Amino acid sequence: MTQQNAPKNRPRPFPRLNHYTDTQPFWDATKEHRLLIQYCRETGRPQWFPRSASLATGRRDLEWREVSGRGTVYSFTIARKPWPGHEDRVPYICALVELEEGVRMLANLVRVEPGDVRIGAPVRVAWETLSDGDSTVEYPVFEPV
Amino acid sequence: MATRKDIAIVGYGETPTVLRSGRSSYDLAAEALEAVLRHTGVDKNVIDGVCFAETMSETANPFWGVYLCEQLGLEPSWMQVNGLGGASTIGGVARAAAAIRDGLCETVLVLSADAQSSWPPTEQGAQRFEFQYPVGLNGPPGVFGLITQRYRHQYDLRDEALAKLAVTQRRHALMNPNGTEKLRKPLTEDQYLASPYVSEPLRTLDSVMVCDGANAMLVTSTENARRLGLRRWVHPIGYGEAVNHKGTDPLADITESGFTVAAPKAFRQAELTPGDIASVHLYDDFLIALILTLEQTGFCDVGEGSKFVMETDLSYRGTLPLNTSGGQISAGQPGLAGGGVNAVEALRQLFGEAGERQIADVRNAMVTGIGMIPYGKNWGVSNVLILEQP
Repeated sequence: MTQQNAPKNRPRPFPRLNHYTDTQPFWDATKEHRLLIQYCRETGRPQWFPRSASLATGRRDLEWREVSGRGTVYSFTIARKPWPGHEDRVPYICALVELEEGVRMLANLVRVEPGDVRIGAPVRVAWETLSDGDSTVEYPVFEPV
Repeated sequence: MATRKDIAIVGYGETPTVLRSGRSSYDLAAEALEAVLRHTGVDKNVIDGVCFAETMSETANPFWGVYLCEQLGLEPSWMQVNGLGGASTIGGVARAAAAIRDGLCETVLVLSADAQSSWPPTEQGAQRFEFQYPVGLNGPPGVFGLITQRYRHQYDLRDEALAKLAVTQRRHALMNPNGTEKLRKPLTEDQYLASPYVSEPLRTLDSVMVCDGANAMLVTSTENARRLGLRRWVHPIGYGEAVNHKGTDPLADITESGFTVAAPKAFRQAELTPGDIASVHLYDDFLIALILTLEQTGFCDVGEGSKFVMETDLSYRGTLPLNTSGGQISAGQPGLAGGGVNAVEALRQLFGEAGERQIADVRNAMVTGIGMIPYGKNWGVSNVLILEQP
C-alpha cells in the first residue's frame, strides 16, 4: 500500500524488559520463538499481562508455562494516526487476540490487509525482530492461520 | 432519613475551557475558587476541608494538594487528592460527604483543575513500556477503538445514533459561553460521518479535545448551610463507584463497564430508578461511552443504546436532556478536571441558572464519571452521582 506517512521524530518504542515485574522467563523463551504466559499454581488460572501476584489469590505463587500460540481475534482497531514512534507503520492493526488457553494479548496483526480482518478469525503467533540499535528482541505478533 | 438530604452542595464555579491557555493548574484553580466564593457569597475561611482531583499537568508533584492549599490560602483540617481520572470530581463529592458525616470537617471545597493542553504529557509506566508502546496502540482512541469494534460485533451500533449524539451536544455547546472557542461552530450529521478515523472505527469527532480549565463546588451539611444563611442548595442523594471492574477475569466482556455495579448502588441509595431521572450529565470522553453508559446505568437494555438514542429527544428541551453545556466532546475536556464539566452543568441546571439552555424539569439529575484507560479491557473507574432538589 502506498501512503504518505508523517515523518518520524523518534524511533519505535523498544520494550523495556523486566521493567515493572520479573518477565525474564518470557523474554528468554521468545529467543526460541516460544510463547509463555503466567499461571497461578494454586488455581491453575492463566493471566496476561504479567503481574507480580496471582489475580485469583493475591499470592505470588506463579509459574510460566508455554502456550500454543493459537487464538482468535477478539477485537481490533486500525491505527490511522500513530502512537509516537510508529509513524512509518500507518495503517497498522492493533488487536486483542484471545488465546486458546484463556487470556487476551494486545498485539499487532501482520500479513493481513486492514479491510480483511474479522472478529473471530483464527490466528497464530509469529515473531517480529525489534531493535534499538544495540540489541534485538523477538516480539510476538499474530498472523492469519 | 428516607433519602439522604443531610448533605448539601451549596454552590459551584467554573473557568472557561481553553485550548493551550498557557496557564498553570494553580492559576486556573484560583479562578474556580473565586467563582465558587462569588456564587455562594461565603467567606474563604469557612472552608475547612479540601478534596482535589489529581491532574495530568502537576502529577509529577506528589504534594500537589498541599501546594494548592498554599497557593490558595487554605488551612483545612482534612485533605484528600483523588486519582480517579475523570471520576475524581464526583468521587470527591462522595468523599466530602463521608468526611463531613464523620466530623472530620464541615465545609469542603471540591476542586478540579488541570492544564493538560499546556504542559508536557505524563507517564503512566507499569506494563506499558513492555507490552503496549511497542505495539503502538494509540492511547485512549486505540482502546475505545477496540471497545467500539467489539460492541459493533455484539450489538446494533448505528452511525446515525453516534451522529445524533455529536450534533445534539454541539448544539448545546453553541449556547455555552464557557465552552472552548475552537469548537463553537455548528456541526452536521454529515460532517460527523466524514470526520477522519483516528483508530478505526473511532473517528476524530468521536473524541474529546484536550484543553485547560478548572471547576469547583462547595459541599457542607444541610444544617451548616442553614447556619451560614444560605438559601439554595442541591443534595447528593445517591452514589456508586466501581474500580477495576472484572479486572481479575481475563476473558471479561470489554464492552461491560463498572456502571453495571455503580449505577444500581447509586439508585438504591437514592431510592429512585432511571425512569425517575429528569436529566443526565454523562462523562463523555468518547461518544461510544454515552451509549454504553445509557445502557449500563439502566436507561435502556444492553445493546439497545442506538435505538434509545434515535427514539429519545436528548436536547435541553427534550424528554431526557443530555450534557446540556455540550459535554466534554463539544465544549472541550479540561484534562482531569473534565469530570467536573458535566457535574457543574447539572448543578447549574438544578440551581436554575443555565440561561437560554435552561431545562424545565429540575427535580433531579444523574452525573457520571469515567477514569483511566487500561490494557485490553473496559475503563478503570466508573461512578454515578444522583442529585436532587431539597
